Order: sequence, then structure tokens, then C-alpha cells
Amino acid sequence: MTTRQGSASSGLEGRTTAIRSPADPRPIDASMDLLNQIIRQPVDPDYAIVKARGESSSRRGIAFGAVAVVIGAMFALAAVQTSRTAPQLAGERTELISRIEAAETQQDQLRVRVTALSADIDRLRTGALGDDDTARTLQTQINTLGPAVGTVAVKGPGLLIVVDDAPSASDDLQDRVLDMDLQALVNGLWQAGAEAIAINGHRLSALTAIRGAGDAITVDYRSLTRPYRVEAIGDPRTLHARFAESAGGITWNQLAQNRQMRYEISSMDEVTLQADPGMVLRWAKKAK
Amino acid sequence: MIPIIGLILGIILGLFLEPTIPLALQPYLPIAIVAAMDALFGAFRAYLDGNFTDRVFVVSFISNVLIAASIVYVGYQIGVGSQLSTGVVVVLGIRIFTNAAAIRRALFHA
Repeated sequence: MTTRQGSASSGLEGRTTAIRSPADPRPIDASMDLLNQIIRQPVDPDYAIVKARGESSSRRGIAFGAVAVVIGAMFALAAVQTSRTAPQLAGERTELISRIEAAETQQDQLRVRVTALSADIDRLRTGALGDDDTARTLQTQINTLGPAVGTVAVKGPGLLIVVDDAPSASDDLQDRVLDMDLQALVNGLWQAGAEAIAINGHRLSALTAIRGAGDAITVDYRSLTRPYRVEAIGDPRTLHARFAESAGGITWNQLAQNRQMRYEISSMDEVTLQADPGMVLRWAKKAK
Repeated sequence: MIPIIGLILGIILGLFLEPTIPLALQPYLPIAIVAAMDALFGAFRAYLDGNFTDRVFVVSFISNVLIAASIVYVGYQIGVGSQLSTGVVVVLGIRIFTNAAAIRRALFHA
């Protein structure tokens, strides 16, 4: 190590780069010392020193050969390992995908079960409430509140809005429908007086998040597939016009015009929106 | 002759024995290879300059690999392991290129 340092400093002295001024003997590129040294002294200076000392080199042929074997083995190992892990990674990916798909199937089955059980609950509740005055009041309340919060399926006149990525959306993220765009669309519909909204059949409730997860948009933690069908129930005379004037409507007009995204609005005489099966509160209780 | 036979022997050994590298050492293998390449090119250039000695080669190879690995190790301890790996690769890469250019000039006079 000492010899290396000595020769490194001698390399600096031998340099002929421009000098800043007689008063300041440091070369202009003193701050680039490391790179200069790497480029100017690429060969280990010890080679020259040992050679000058005149040591014989035949004694360590075994060590030399061993190092050569080690280097060769390292190359081979790295190559083998890289080529071996590639299919392994692909396999892991496929396995993860299949696990996700299995979990989604299970989730679907559970949702179906939840819907069936909710119907049971409704039926049993009606039976248990009986037919007196308070029971009728409660039943009326349930019938009014259920559709509003999204626990029961609803139908009525409304709008069907179909949106999709621009045709040339392969690379530019700006040409694709983002979670923000869907949020703007839905907020516009609420603003326009929509009473119930569903995206690709997923009913929106107070617990439904619309967010981007990787490449997909999720509603109620379910990934959506394109195109996105947004259905809304509201006043058939005003819903369309008020939506067009809302911030969401304006945003989508611009997206359709500037980005060539698909954006089709049609009025529907009757739209049926399913209940949100995830409407369960486990922790939130009534305060009083 | 020894180095070429050794290299080929090592490659054959590595390909056929396929020893598994411990998981903890795997980040260091590529770095060790780049350090080894640096030592190899430096040795070849010294050989062309006429002052090659295998003692210096063995010592420079081992110290190169150890220093590169320890830099990366420290990097992983302080959370900049991949960045330091990149740094090591860049610095050694510059040296490899410089040496390769000198070797080319010495061999082909071009």
C-alpha cells in the first residue's frame, strides 16, 4: 500500500496541466483529481516497481493459476445464475397473478353470498317487525334510507356515460383514463343531482373509493376493465344538462376534444343499480 | 498460458459444478466480476508493457475484489448499496476502457 501511495503522488507531480497562477500552485483541475488519476494511471503502478526491483515471478505460478480459475468460475457462475433466475422470476410472477385471480374469484363468491344474506336479513327483518305502528315507521325509514346509502338495489331514469382511453393510448399516460378523471366524472354527477351512481356495476356508496392501483383503476377495491360504464340515476330532465355544466362535465369535454378519449352520454329511461355488498360498518357505532 | 488455461478451467468448473452462492453474497458477485475484469485488463496491459509480475496481479486482484465488495457492503449498511455499486462499476469501468484502449493501441498500433 505504501508503494502505491508513493507512486500515486509521483504521478501527480509529473502532470503537465495548466497552473492557475504562480501564487497558487494547485492545478485548475485539482477537484477532478480522482478522475484524472483513474485515467492517467489505469495500470497498477506496482507492476513497474516490482519489475524494477527485479523479483523473479515464477514462484507464484500456483497462486496465479488459482486466481485465474477463480475469475473464470465467477464469470460462469454469474452467467449461470442470471440465466437461471430469469425463468424463476417469470414463474413467480405467473404464480402471483394466478393467486390474485383466485383471490378475486373468492371475493366475487363472497360478494354473491353477502347479497344473498342481505336479502335474507331483509326478509327476516320484515317478518320480525310485525305489523304494528312503530314497525311500519321503521320499515318506511329503512325503505327510504336503504336506497340513499346504497344497501339496496335501485332503479330509475338516468344517464349512461361510457368513457375509455384514447385509441392511441399505448405509451402516453395523459391519453388514458386516470382515477382522477373518473373521480371528476362522478363528482360532476353528484353535483348535477345524481341520486345513485355505479361504475361498471359497482355501486358507489359512502365507503367506496375510486383510486388508481398500478395500471388499473379500482372501485371499492375491485379492478375495473375498460371501457368504463358510469350509470347514474337522477332527474331525467335536468341531470344531463347540469352534468355538462359541472366541473366534471367540462373536464371530460376537454379530455374528449383534446385527447380523443371516448366519451359518450346517453339518457336512459330506466337504469338498475345493484346494492353495494361491502356496506358493513364494523367499528363505527352510533354516537348516542 | 497459465491464465488462459486457468480461465477456461474455471469456466468449466463453474458451468458444471454450479455451486450455489449464498444469498448474502449475491449482490457482491457482479461487483467482484467487474473488479476482476479491471485486474485482468490491467495485467494484460502491464504484460504488453513488459513489466507484468504475477505477484502484483494476484495481490491487485484480491485487493480490488475485497475493496469493491467492502465499499458495497458499507453502502448496503447505510442504505445506498445500489448507488455505491453503480459508483464502483463506473470507476472500474473507466479504468477498463482506458486499459482496453491502451491494449488496442499496443496490439494494433491504431
